[in-house]
Amino acid sequence: MQPNILVEQVAANLPAPIWFVQFFKALGFTLHAIPMNLWYAGLLIALWLHLRGNTHGQRFGARLLQQMPVIVAFGINLGIVPLLFLQLAYNRVFYPATILMAWFWLAIIALVTLAYYGVYAYAWGLRQQGNAMAAWRKAAGWCAAVFFLAVGFLFANGLSLTEHVDRWADLWKQHSVAGAATGTALNIGDPTLIPRWLLMFGLALGTTAVWLLVDATWFARNTVDEDYRRWAWSLAKKLYTVSAIWFAAAGSWYVYGTWHSAIRQTMFDWPWLPLTVATAVAPALPWALLMTAGFCNEKRLTLAAIALCQFGVLGLNATSRQVVQNLNLNPHLQLYTQPTAVQWSPLVMFLVVFVLGLGVVGWMVWQVAKSLPSPTR
Amino acid sequence: MHYPWWYVPHLTAPMLIAAISVLHVLISHYAVGGGLFLAVEVAHAYKTGNRAYLDYLQRHAKFFVLLTVVLGAVTGVGIWWTIGLSSPLATEVLIRTFVFGWATEYVFFVIELAAAFIFLYYWGRLTEKTHALIGWIYALAAWISLVLITGITAFMVNPGTWADGGSSQDFWTAFFNPQFLPQTIARTGGALLLSSLYVYLHASLTIRDAKLRDMIASRSARPACLGAVLITLGGIGWHFFLPPSAKDALAAAAPLNILVVLIFALTAVVFVLLYVGPYRNPGWLSPGFAASLCLFGIAAFSTGEFIREAVRKPFIIYNTVLSNQIYPEEVQKLRGIGYLEGGVWTKAFVKTHYPQAIVNDRIAGSELLKLPHQDRVALGEVLFQYHCNDCHAAQDGYSSLGRLLHGRSRELVRNSVDHLDSIYFMPPWAGTAEEAELITDYLMTINRPRPEGMRVGTETAEVK
Ligand code: HEC
Repeated sequence: MQPNILVEQVAANLPAPIWFVQFFKALGFTLHAIPMNLWYAGLLIALWLHLRGNTHGQRFGARLLQQMPVIVAFGINLGIVPLLFLQLAYNRVFYPATILMAWFWLAIIALVTLAYYGVYAYAWGLRQQGNAMAAWRKAAGWCAAVFFLAVGFLFANGLSLTEHVDRWADLWKQHSVAGAATGTALNIGDPTLIPRWLLMFGLALGTTAVWLLVDATWFARNTVDEDYRRWAWSLAKKLYTVSAIWFAAAGSWYVYGTWHSAIRQTMFDWPWLPLTVATAVAPALPWALLMTAGFCNEKRLTLAAIALCQFGVLGLNATSRQVVQNLNLNPHLQLYTQPTAVQWSPLVMFLVVFVLGLGVVGWMVWQVAKSLPSPTR
Repeated sequence: MHYPWWYVPHLTAPMLIAAISVLHVLISHYAVGGGLFLAVEVAHAYKTGNRAYLDYLQRHAKFFVLLTVVLGAVTGVGIWWTIGLSSPLATEVLIRTFVFGWATEYVFFVIELAAAFIFLYYWGRLTEKTHALIGWIYALAAWISLVLITGITAFMVNPGTWADGGSSQDFWTAFFNPQFLPQTIARTGGALLLSSLYVYLHASLTIRDAKLRDMIASRSARPACLGAVLITLGGIGWHFFLPPSAKDALAAAAPLNILVVLIFALTAVVFVLLYVGPYRNPGWLSPGFAASLCLFGIAAFSTGEFIREAVRKPFIIYNTVLSNQIYPEEVQKLRGIGYLEGGVWTKAFVKTHYPQAIVNDRIAGSELLKLPHQDRVALGEVLFQYHCNDCHAAQDGYSSLGRLLHGRSRELVRNSVDHLDSIYFMPPWAGTAEEAELITDYLMTINRPRPEGMRVGTETAEVK
């Protein structure tokens, strides 16, 4: 069967220029990736440190675990943006892919709910009883970490299937009743699935390393001593090194082991070559900054640079993903020739509300900052 | 039928939407009303210096955040997930029409989240004025997100002139549809009422101090009664601005009749209980009383939500998207070329499994009829999946055709297919005469025989 006959073009107008959709999709995904990384790899690390770490490790573990409910809340929220824009312009491939795996796709909702409450159980246990918290709370935290890994696996399934239309026909044949999908397919046979999933975990280790430093230098600055900071820097270095190696390994597997040769050719040719190279080597920059920074109690500028670089790493990754997604979909989806009628006034309303909203949130955060104890206390 | 259909045995996929949305509605209205409750009451407690009340409010805020920020948010995303899976075409139209409405609502979610966390986690650390103000920021943002999403859900019931097409198909016409105002009023009322009921339940279970409990009972009775009034006003407006088909459906369908009576009865019960209970006799607020009040409220709410979904039939979006995932404009075309030919996945199905029915890359009706009986049944089942399964389970389950066919003869069943929209809750038959034959073949295989042992006076031949 030609895969092409499973995708039909849309009649309704696209309400925003396609570049706008892609920009917000990639930006939204980058922003979502920061908190998502922290529950993806960070949660596991925090649980481990809290269980087995030295005093500093336990302290960081407890801190991150207590921050986790807020991180999860904002992370889920930030995930809405890329999904909204994905559904807007890629609907004709996104819906069929997720319908084929409907039950698993729906399971994400259940898993996220359970994981979320698991995180709360642990965090509030810590707050009220410290290390003496009930065993079920600890178990709930570990379950949450496992559930988040499973959610990542399901997302990798859904998005790799969205991108690989040629895989639909087989899955449909195996998982259908009278031509209707039973929603029980998983994209297991797709060679890109596992390296994709692992790639994100590698990035997540790096983001967690950066968060460890950000927390020690800013959020915890009045409560931790120099010894803790020294420990934090040394752990962050190790963690980031693992992250970079992991990223390189999973990335090479992904690019050389699973990409169609046509995609590889395009990505290693003009105009995409610089993007491909930049994405591949990006983690080297924050890593080098981290390794050469040595240790000093007040490394705020260096740390700001490292954090910015990590944001760049995630951003480049999202951009490359977007390009590869488009390349894979090009034969099936007329992305750039969709009928478009820009809804200008709602678009402006959104941008205005967005800026005002940032202002309101900024004001609230400022009120909180004012109320925090001063360093002399 | 641009998308594959998701077959959920017994239940049908759209019923999953109903299940998740009822749960979501029960929480999200509290997310709005409860926010208002906290804002007003915290300000009041500060003003009167009532420490005991503040302590209670802090505990309530914790419960509130745990329920709304987590389950409210995730079930909201869950509705979005399920509509994409079970009504992809309608979801596509909604997103292409309202993407900036959703994006704007999203900004308010972020404000809500930040405000809710700060309100709870920095309790006692902010100045009283700032703390109360942040409560109000939360309440306002939550209410605006209610208004924004109501514009979109109201649109599905009656898109007004937007559905006429042409230049009226702009965002604002769609958003300010005839149902917008009544539904906003009703939902605001719902938020006030439902959250008062939750407050009662929570307070009756967790407060020992009778004086404090009585105060909460009488203070929260006012928004609850106001809520009930708004629901009634909004409900009347909702009915007034329903499209005629929906009004008729409400009057004609027996299950809907019962539900409408039920919702009025339940609302009346809640109103009376509120009046004689918390309003006149705050001391009555025992856990049992609060729980039954809450249960009646939840039942009324769920019923209302169910009716709201049910009256849209045969549309997902009135006059715009039919429930079997096609546009009304496609019906004539499909009657000509065939339902199987017109659907992307159905065509692919025939191509792979019955290439002998394809002539010149088209499905030929005459070839379909030449297929052996079991293949005709198999293709009839495909037609059932893509044309009927959004409302009917097959043999058993929700509104199952196995039972609705009542053991009728083949001729009568074929007749029902041809005149499907003689019952106007159903979309018109959108296939060829040959396809009607195939689906009839299939329907006869699931048609249950008439129950045995009925004596209605027409079986004289057998009776002596
Ligand atoms: C939009 C939803 C919807 C769709 C789609 C739909 N139906 Fe129905 N159908 C209904 C409703 C509602 C009833 C009334 C059920 C009741 O009274 O319990 C009904 C009733 C029936 C009945 C019983 C009618 C009678 O005369 O007693 C039959 C037979 C039937 N449908 C067949 C079909 C077939 C065949 C299809 C697909 C070709 C189909 N329906 C598609 C909603 C739908």
